[in-house]
Amino acid sequence: MSLTQVNSYVAAMFEVAVANDALAAVEDEMFRLARAYETNETLRSSLEDSSLPVERRQKIVEQLLGGKAHNVTVQLASMLVGTGHVALLPQVADALVKRASSEKQLEVAEVRSAVALNEAQKTRLADALAKATGKRVNLKVVVDPSVIGGIVATVGDEVIDDTVRTRLDQVKARF
Amino acid sequence: MNALSVLLAAEDPSQSHHWLFPEIGEIIYGGIASVAIFVLLYRVGWPMAKKALEARTAKVQKELDEAAAARRQAETDASNIRTALGDVASERSRILAEADAQAAALLNEGRARITAEVAELEARANAEIDAARSRSGDELRAEIARLSAVATGDAVKSALDDRTQQELIDGFISKVGAGR
Repeated sequence: MSLTQVNSYVAAMFEVAVANDALAAVEDEMFRLARAYETNETLRSSLEDSSLPVERRQKIVEQLLGGKAHNVTVQLASMLVGTGHVALLPQVADALVKRASSEKQLEVAEVRSAVALNEAQKTRLADALAKATGKRVNLKVVVDPSVIGGIVATVGDEVIDDTVRTRLDQVKARF
Repeated sequence: MNALSVLLAAEDPSQSHHWLFPEIGEIIYGGIASVAIFVLLYRVGWPMAKKALEARTAKVQKELDEAAAARRQAETDASNIRTALGDVASERSRILAEADAQAAALLNEGRARITAEVAELEARANAEIDAARSRSGDELRAEIARLSAVATGDAVKSALDDRTQQELIDGFISKVGAGR
């Protein structure tokens, strides 16, 4: 998949989201949908299954997001499925988040935690990351059970890792 | 009929002057004719006969010469064959000796190669036994480490209740906020 295709989709989605005044919601929901697509094998294989009619796969997206996501998000995700480029979803979503953040002079901070963070924790974490990196951040939290406990935050090229998984790996290496 | 009668009458011995001797004229004519025949035979017949005899002699001599040549050729061929038979025998002996030498060389080479291969196999087997011993030790240590890590992980995971998870998160936030 070419970068040009990704950029084309991102440009189109950005314009549509801005036109509908739903950029914040769309980029956040696309980000979460992309993470679900990456981690859920059943969802991924269903959306990529070319033996299923496109309408059926689009229906899966609509049922998955319906009532829980902005209508624009549903339409854009459905469009990706309809054009047969659903495999671009993670790249498109990440690029959309990056562009949306850039518009707001923010740096994307991807945070992985074994459990979900509440709003207060998200706010405090965003502030802490901004203080640590010197950049205002657009926090994106991914619930990733593989980290076991703690948090790993990636801001640009900087990675702050304080997860149980990493500590166990270090213990394992010492054995 | 009259002519026949005359002829018979002429041949009738009773008509000659003597029962044994012919007439003088007949003797003269007969003698001359005989001499002429002898002369003719001597002049014509004898050269022809001589020539025929000479040709016959030459032919016989030629056949004798050819027979002699054939005999010589046969003797030469027989000699060559005897020589060739002798050569075949010596070639056979040479080939057999050469084959014996090659077989002996191959046998020696094979023995040496097998000995070397056996030695190499023994060395390799010994090395593999040593490696296996070492590997078994390493694998055992690795397995112990893996099991220890799994046990540690399981123990940690079982200890990670929701309160601990929240404490880890809050601890992370505090640490990052404090400038790590």
